[in-house]
Amino acid sequence: MKRKLKIYLPFVNAGMQEVATYRVNWIFFMLGEALSCFVTYFIWAAVYSSGDKESMNGFTMPQMIVYIVLMFLTGTIIASDGAYVVGEEIRDGSIIMRMIKPVSYNATFLFQELGNKLPTEIAIAAPMIITVEVIRTMISGVLQFNALSLILYLFSCALAYLISFYFNICFGFTAFVIKYLWGANMMKNVVVGFLSGAVVPLSFLPGVLEKVFLFLPFASLNYTPVMIYMGKYTGAQLLYYIGLQVFWVLFFFGLSKLLWRISVKRLSSQGG
Amino acid sequence: MITVDKLRKEFKKTVKEPGLKGSVKSLFKPKSEKVVAVRDISFSVEEGEILGFIGPNGAGKSTVIKMLTGILTPTAGSCTINGKNPTQNRQSYVKEIGVVFGQRTQLWWDLPLRETYGVLKEIYEVPEDSYNRRMAFLNEVLELEEFIASPVRTLSLGQRMRADIAASLLHSPKVLFLDEPTIGLDVVVKDNIRKAIEYINRHEKTTVILTTHDLADIEQLSKRIVMIDKGTKVFDGSIAGLKTQYGQIRELTFETGVANAAAVLEYAKHFSLGEEDVSVETEGNVVKVRFNSAAVPVSDILSYTLNKVSVSDISVKDADIEEIIRRLYGQGAV
Amino acid sequence: MKNIKRMLRIHRIFMAQEFKRMMEYKGDFIVGIIGFFLVQLSNLMFLWIIFGQIPDLAGWSVNEVVFIYGMSLIPKGIDHFFFDNLWSVGYFIVRKGDFDKYLTRPVNTYFHVLVEKIQIDALGELIMGIALVCVSAPGIRADWDAFRVLAFIAVIPFVTLIFTGVKTITASVAFWAKRSGNVIYMFYMFSDFAKYPTTVYNRLVQNVITYIIPFALTSYFPALFILKGENPLFNLGMPVLASAVLMGAGIMVWHKGIRAYESAGS
Repeated sequence: MKRKLKIYLPFVNAGMQEVATYRVNWIFFMLGEALSCFVTYFIWAAVYSSGDKESMNGFTMPQMIVYIVLMFLTGTIIASDGAYVVGEEIRDGSIIMRMIKPVSYNATFLFQELGNKLPTEIAIAAPMIITVEVIRTMISGVLQFNALSLILYLFSCALAYLISFYFNICFGFTAFVIKYLWGANMMKNVVVGFLSGAVVPLSFLPGVLEKVFLFLPFASLNYTPVMIYMGKYTGAQLLYYIGLQVFWVLFFFGLSKLLWRISVKRLSSQGG
Repeated sequence: MITVDKLRKEFKKTVKEPGLKGSVKSLFKPKSEKVVAVRDISFSVEEGEILGFIGPNGAGKSTVIKMLTGILTPTAGSCTINGKNPTQNRQSYVKEIGVVFGQRTQLWWDLPLRETYGVLKEIYEVPEDSYNRRMAFLNEVLELEEFIASPVRTLSLGQRMRADIAASLLHSPKVLFLDEPTIGLDVVVKDNIRKAIEYINRHEKTTVILTTHDLADIEQLSKRIVMIDKGTKVFDGSIAGLKTQYGQIRELTFETGVANAAAVLEYAKHFSLGEEDVSVETEGNVVKVRFNSAAVPVSDILSYTLNKVSVSDISVKDADIEEIIRRLYGQGAV
Repeated sequence: MKNIKRMLRIHRIFMAQEFKRMMEYKGDFIVGIIGFFLVQLSNLMFLWIIFGQIPDLAGWSVNEVVFIYGMSLIPKGIDHFFFDNLWSVGYFIVRKGDFDKYLTRPVNTYFHVLVEKIQIDALGELIMGIALVCVSAPGIRADWDAFRVLAFIAVIPFVTLIFTGVKTITASVAFWAKRSGNVIYMFYMFSDFAKYPTTVYNRLVQNVITYIIPFALTSYFPALFILKGENPLFNLGMPVLASAVLMGAGIMVWHKGIRAYESAGS
């Protein structure tokens, strides 16, 4: 196992160097992303001050702020480019090259992406988590930071990233059908965003919808880690949702293998 | 026709110190230094001339071409074509020129080739009747008919190049710039393209400025060469002139049974020659000696060789242009 | 005059080429339109959910919020439809040296870049925007006279140019920095603030989106006049002024940028 991991270390390194080169560019991108977060914050602030309820569907205003920030953070942690990479390969035909490579392509790509993300994640996660804690403390007057929650959150994020990674790989195979990768990805991002609670917390949805959405793999992406951090899932519930995450990791891992096998068959019978 | 006067281009290059510390530093306090890519180059070209523009990679070749085509703004100096100047009136200047960059295309990628010509006709304001005559002419020279209805993305590299040359000639420019027009093409296609360029030059008196890595292009097409190195003009004249100025180089080839002939002969030591004046290559029992006949007379080297080792099949010939240029720039690419 | 006629002619030719290209890739364009439609739908779900909790948002009724939201999509969609190519300038045209092409043609480079492409995806935004405005308008006031409708239609081209101007200035940064796609993105994202009534934001944000990156002028302020007849001088005058200033600055920066353009390679 250790030996096997060693093969992939250079890919982590390559990914890290890539980021270093485009750092300024990346900062602008993150600032742009953060702006929509600000808009959401102001809207919720107006909603809470326009209504007379202090808590809505289990969320108080300070909790909503924490939710918005954490959703944003989790979203960037679990983001994966797989759909685009695989789609591009299918479109230009270079996916055939994978059939002759001795290393697992998905694993190579996974490690390269990790290398790509690690420095940036650390750079944004630490200050954001501190910000969240400062806000919470300022509002309630007591420090609410819980190290166990943070550890469980990070663990849950790791699972969520794996789901996201393999889900995106699977989605990439739609390029056999939809040639407009950018458009297809935008569609995917919107639907996934909504189903994973990036637009509104799932508890704001009507009862049945909420139940269905909670089971779908998308809630396992952003929603579960954020709920864990906020201490909304405890005990058996916590175990259930983490178990569900594990299930979806295995599901999409298996599905990506299956889709790969199907496309190999398809490619070899058509000759690319 | 074309007058280039003390053309100069400076770039600002940001200097980054290595490592993370360097990146952070350059983010807040970027340090930059001035790089002179083209240093006060002057030359002129007559109407109907084909000028070969050569130099090693990074010599400033493309920078000059890009200033002449109105893409880059010169730091100082000027270039004029028929009295027009790209920095003063780019739009009227570029009507006089046609440009082909071998590694880029100006064709509409997704549409049939014919559509590109339709658009360019409007952009260059070519009247209907001269457009039709022009297309007929270009079709005859470049044989576009077979693929004019195909989407550009499906064309072969050679077809695409013919199509691109036609696109650059649609508005009957007085000057045609060709940057690497034969790059990546096979020998037969290269030859066709050269013939087409020659034909157009002869029939329309189109002035051509040509840069290329393939010196066969130059030898076949142009009578005059401008060579630049490190942003400075180092040669301007005919190919024959280049040969007399730099071409004292000769190549001595012989076959010998002596196994380590090169070591036995030791030309450099015997004639006290520098590295740039002599080089020896051994291939099986064939030995090739390139030497500067100005530094050591041909007769000396011949008699020395014949005395030292037993040889069969010996010959001496002039080096070709490619070798001269290679010598000028060391072993690097031309 | 002759010049304008020629520009219109070139514009028409480019449009025709774009439609031919679209016919080659029909499926793509349907995907794109549906995609942008879904983006807006998801945002509407958000509005629907929050209005399930409260009767009004900081004093704004559902219809008013929907009207402002819809109105913000119209200029955004029009700019997106016609002038999307500016994004490519920031992301890759300059970096890859493909800008060379424009400089070797006897056409104004800015004009050439603008009219070369259209982006059909934008219909997703545009149609949604028009629909929302039409649906919400009758519920806000009954007396929609010709003057109001005309004022609405007349202000649209100007506020569209606020989008185009911001994109032009930020895209031009690429001439110096090689790439500026994410710079465009950051400033463009300020338009998200325009979707809601400006009064929900704090003072600082309000000032930024009114006077500095003035996307509030693209929907909220004109809507104040159209819906409530308030202060026409500011609510209509400012958007017109801002569009002129931004476009003027944009074209200036663009042409300065061209002189600094370094192409690619050696």
